[in-house]
Amino acid sequence: MPRDTVYLAAAGTALPGDPVDNAALAKLLGVSEEWIDLFVGTRARHFAWDPATGEVLRTLADLCAEAGARALEAAGLGPADIEFLVLATATPDHLLPTTATEVADRLGMDHLPVYQLQAGCSGAVQALDLGRRLVAGGHRAGLLIGGDVTHRFLAVRRSAARMPTEELVNHVLFGDGAGAVVLTAEPGEEAVALRGVLNRCAGLRRPPGQFIDWSGLSDRDTERRMLAEDYKAIEEHVPAISVEIVWELLGELGWTVDEVDHILPPQLSGRMTARIMERLPVPSATEVSCVSETGNTGNALPFLQLDRLLPRLDRGQRALAVTVESSKWIRAGFALEKA
Amino acid sequence: MEDIAIVGLDCAFPGAAGAEAYWDLLMRGGDAVGGVPARRWDPDDFPAVPGAGGFLDDADVFDADFFSVSPREAAAMDPHHRLLLHCAWRALEDSGRPPGDLAGSDTGVFVGMMGGEWGRLTMGSPASATPQLGAGSSNGMAANRISYHFNFTGPSLAVDTACSSSLVAVHLAAGALRTGECDTALAGGVNVLLSPSLGLVYAQMGLAAPDGRCKPFSADADGIVRGEGVGLVVLRRLVDAVADGQRIYAVLRGSAVNQDGRSNGVTAPNRWSQQAVVQAAYERSGITPDQVAFIEAHGTGTVLGDTIECAALGSVHAVPRPAPCAIGSVKGNLGHLEGAAGIAALIKAALALHHRVVPASRFADRENPQLKLAGRGMRLLKSPLRLPPGETVAAVSSFGMGGTNSHAVLSTAPRAALSASPAPAGASVTGATPRSGETGVFTLSGDTPEALRRNLVAQAEDVAGRPRGDAARLCWSSNRIKTGLPYRFAVAARDSAELADALRKAAAEDLSATAAHRPWARPVVAFLFTGQGSAHAGMTAPLYRDSPLYRRHLDEADAALAPYLGASVREVILSGDERVHEPAFAQPALFAVGCALARTLVALGVTPAAVLGHSLGEYAAAVTAGALDLDEAARLVVRRAALLRDLPEDGGMLAVRAGGEPVAELLAAEPEVRIAAVNGPSDTVLSGPREALSRIGQALRARNVDTRNLPVTHAFHAPQTALMAEALREEPVRATAPAVPVFSTRYGRMLREEPMDGAYWADQAALPVLFDAALGALVAETSPTHLLEIGPRPQLLPLAGRAGHAAALEGLHPAPGPEATGRELAETVAALHRAGLDPVWEALYAPGHRVMVRLRPYVFRSDHHFWDRRPGPAPAPAEQRYPETRSPEPQSPAQPEGTPEHAREPREPGPVLAAVVDAVVEVGGHPRERVLREARFYEDLGFDSVMIMQLKGRVESRLPQVGEVSVQELLPALRSVGTLADFLDDMVMVNAA
Repeated sequence: MPRDTVYLAAAGTALPGDPVDNAALAKLLGVSEEWIDLFVGTRARHFAWDPATGEVLRTLADLCAEAGARALEAAGLGPADIEFLVLATATPDHLLPTTATEVADRLGMDHLPVYQLQAGCSGAVQALDLGRRLVAGGHRAGLLIGGDVTHRFLAVRRSAARMPTEELVNHVLFGDGAGAVVLTAEPGEEAVALRGVLNRCAGLRRPPGQFIDWSGLSDRDTERRMLAEDYKAIEEHVPAISVEIVWELLGELGWTVDEVDHILPPQLSGRMTARIMERLPVPSATEVSCVSETGNTGNALPFLQLDRLLPRLDRGQRALAVTVESSKWIRAGFALEKA
Repeated sequence: MEDIAIVGLDCAFPGAAGAEAYWDLLMRGGDAVGGVPARRWDPDDFPAVPGAGGFLDDADVFDADFFSVSPREAAAMDPHHRLLLHCAWRALEDSGRPPGDLAGSDTGVFVGMMGGEWGRLTMGSPASATPQLGAGSSNGMAANRISYHFNFTGPSLAVDTACSSSLVAVHLAAGALRTGECDTALAGGVNVLLSPSLGLVYAQMGLAAPDGRCKPFSADADGIVRGEGVGLVVLRRLVDAVADGQRIYAVLRGSAVNQDGRSNGVTAPNRWSQQAVVQAAYERSGITPDQVAFIEAHGTGTVLGDTIECAALGSVHAVPRPAPCAIGSVKGNLGHLEGAAGIAALIKAALALHHRVVPASRFADRENPQLKLAGRGMRLLKSPLRLPPGETVAAVSSFGMGGTNSHAVLSTAPRAALSASPAPAGASVTGATPRSGETGVFTLSGDTPEALRRNLVAQAEDVAGRPRGDAARLCWSSNRIKTGLPYRFAVAARDSAELADALRKAAAEDLSATAAHRPWARPVVAFLFTGQGSAHAGMTAPLYRDSPLYRRHLDEADAALAPYLGASVREVILSGDERVHEPAFAQPALFAVGCALARTLVALGVTPAAVLGHSLGEYAAAVTAGALDLDEAARLVVRRAALLRDLPEDGGMLAVRAGGEPVAELLAAEPEVRIAAVNGPSDTVLSGPREALSRIGQALRARNVDTRNLPVTHAFHAPQTALMAEALREEPVRATAPAVPVFSTRYGRMLREEPMDGAYWADQAALPVLFDAALGALVAETSPTHLLEIGPRPQLLPLAGRAGHAAALEGLHPAPGPEATGRELAETVAALHRAGLDPVWEALYAPGHRVMVRLRPYVFRSDHHFWDRRPGPAPAPAEQRYPETRSPEPQSPAQPEGTPEHAREPREPGPVLAAVVDAVVEVGGHPRERVLREARFYEDLGFDSVMIMQLKGRVESRLPQVGEVSVQELLPALRSVGTLADFLDDMVMVNAA
């Protein structure tokens, strides 16, 4: 039976190992700690690989399974209760089998639809968008997961001294992690309703702001950049787009700026998030951010923010989340309300 | 009908050693039918019998030692019985309860099995009869043995209705639960193919599939193939299961049993009776046929059987319905399990409801069109069926060759309320660590060190295969289920990955040194409360963060101090405030920490046999011993601190690594300096003016004696603080006699009649601290096994070690420094559990983490084959069979409990002892080297009254000089081999005199 409202039952996260602070990272990279503090404003991040040796300690599937299991546990549901799984990532462990299907296996889920979304910062919102449609179409409970790992794209072992600045920045900007939420048709005790989702690719004739490549047999030896960002474009456009997303969500829901109690802003870096916050038109909202402690974890970010939001969200309160994926200028966001 | 919950299950089917493997086999549509194992019979000898069957891999293994069954009895025991004992233990564990905890309960046992082949094979000729074989070959004993070994006093019966036996057993068990005959029931069945005889019968009746495959509802269906298996479910009334927080696979809504009556021949199925039993079961369950999503059918794969069953089902299910009722039969995978067929079907259906997907039916792709399933409201499951959310109803059929039909109705378990527990507070503040539960203790036990290792390996594999997460629920579940056996393992763990590593590591280590104690006594624990100088800023803050229990008790101590102190000492402690070193706060803070730690331990079930407090530590010790109540002690401590604050801070204290002569010599020259504490033969603390102490320090260092200035503000236990002491003397104190022995550092001995009144506390402050003497007395008088230091930093355990008091004792410290978290507390509990303590486990976990998860069931010893050959019409005597089994491991439970290593050395055996050992070996079939002097007849050698009578006969014939001994005379001596030999020795001497 079709449904109007879907609910977030619980969230779960997985951040591998101990946090790597700027002092430790600066030492590994041979750069100054102050530079990281000033340029990026991110204080710590987690890596699922050993920064000293490059050894991969935990895979994306490991992290996503942990986050998913924690969300299920918090929701009081078992694997058989889950009727679909959506996993968003830019950095799957393999092209096939998908990380989503590997995670379904780890979680003991069988005979259910499993989707993997190839996405960046907007992946969690895409998952929410797909998930709410699946629930609206009659499913009762689904698990949404977002996560990313950096080991293929960051190599601290390489002499950082020879890295151009724009490449060096990536090493201090990103982190590994995964987050998950359980989506349900029934309100449950918490009754956090997903009121609206904005998910729109708006990249027509716009050059990508972020670029992540992969390679295979024929091209693995080429000397091209595997990870690149157009920081100028990002700094210029993301804050403005974020403001538009807020207005759009508010307009769609008929909410006023004063009715937003919590705001989950884009999590590019500590510094960028602070700059965006200055411009967002939600004066009474409390900021819920994580990037300073987790680094930019891509597809995991909104779920990590949700994990922090849910215990703070009181009955009758509203929250707005905003994210911009600069790869192809995807504008995304969602609105929550606790009954 | 009252709903019955299936809360636990275990099984072994062909190609599937447990429930998880069974489910995998079903989901991949596996074929478990194969050739006849060489141990059974040679198919060439029986050309008329199809040479195929669903055989168990391990039908002949049995962990006889685990159940204290003697080798002779194990060899004589029907293999059906052996399989059931393993299965029962594992099923009960799966239900989330330690089997040992149900001992003495009215738990019922209902076992379906057909025939009685073992008895026919082993007792075919009267000459081969023995008491063990007699007891081992009766079907009734299959259930009774479980009741005996587990000590269950509820109904215990075997059911034989041929192929419907085990579903009828479930029906009877549910009835017994509904009428209150028992509160828990084990129900199921077992089938082992001991000989080709019944296969020959099927072939003669034209029921055997020529290709050796059972093909239910297929156009190719042409008969059955026999199969083996054992399966039990643990049943409880649904309300009880929910109240006890047990996990539920499925709910048994109702069931029915009827008979064909006088049908077309005694073995022919009867459509009308089948229809009636299905209808009766639905009516009793309060459901209608259109609600039934799937049926695990009897589905024998004989043309006649399939036709009649589908006709019967069709007349019930051909009603207007949302979707056809899916049908299938596990016989396509396993063959026909005869007496165990019903339980294989029931477990399949329960697992399908649990996983919400119904496996496809094997051989369904060539559906028999004659069955007209579509027109009868049914469809054959050609692919797995994912069940929709919400309640699903399923049904199971099992029919017996003699016409006894049974049908059971199941439904999905009631779903727990969504998200009852929001994330525990602390989506972590810093984000540095993921939110996580408290450090728990994972426990495991086994009957031998080797069993412990085997199970460590299994648990490590299971835990490592789970997604990473908090260990708390795993730990809690292990505490509930896995603690009952003599060899214990316990480890503190916060996270599942860390736990998997610890288990793996432990399995690879020498367990005898670390984990595998065999505690035959409870640990005797003494609490040593640390005194001045151990306080530090932020002390126990990480523990406070981790442990809800410690939080509660520190809050309590804080609340007791607050009215007198006018401030929160907890805030001062936890905030990392350096004021914790100021006189006003240092003493209340240490007191609060000491009381809270002690109360935390007591709440965890660690009860001190004695307490000792060093100086200020005596206040918390007095509270713990019940000599002062918390409030009174709090008042006194604050008073003491206030008095101190008014004294000039001109004194100091010096710890000296020397005693006796060198110190006395120097003191003679410094009359203002006093001995404040005698902590050990070479540990002395001096108290006095700082300048004088500095002079002494210099002199001692010149003699290469280590000294250390203590971080205190005053010269305690010296004339400089005498004013404080005198003021304390005037205080009225509400003191009572301690409930726990207090070893006083004021007297250097156990407190006797002296009350802990104002005078006591005054003297205690003024006079030297006689720690060395007090601890010496404590060790001598209470013989502790463990010393626990109760304070925020180790001070007393190192002193005890240097003084030589702790040589044979284990020292534990639940909060051994600024970094200590809940882990050290958990490790303390783990160490005490290994030593024999049964802690109050629930106190270790927040209520939200006390959630049961299913752990892998116990792994029994499987290298011990008790049935090595086809028993044949004339079985080899047990004595000859036993030596064919592998040699027993050196460490086995036949070693008596509680026997220290040295006692196992063989003594010079006298002729009487030798005769007793010979007789035991003859009666029990034990290997001679295991019949030790200390071995106990009942617990270690598995003797029963029949064997005792046999033993008496053998002993009398071997030792004619003993003469006539009555059983009554003998009984008191029948504790161990040694006691019997001693008794007989005496008899010989009496007779000779």
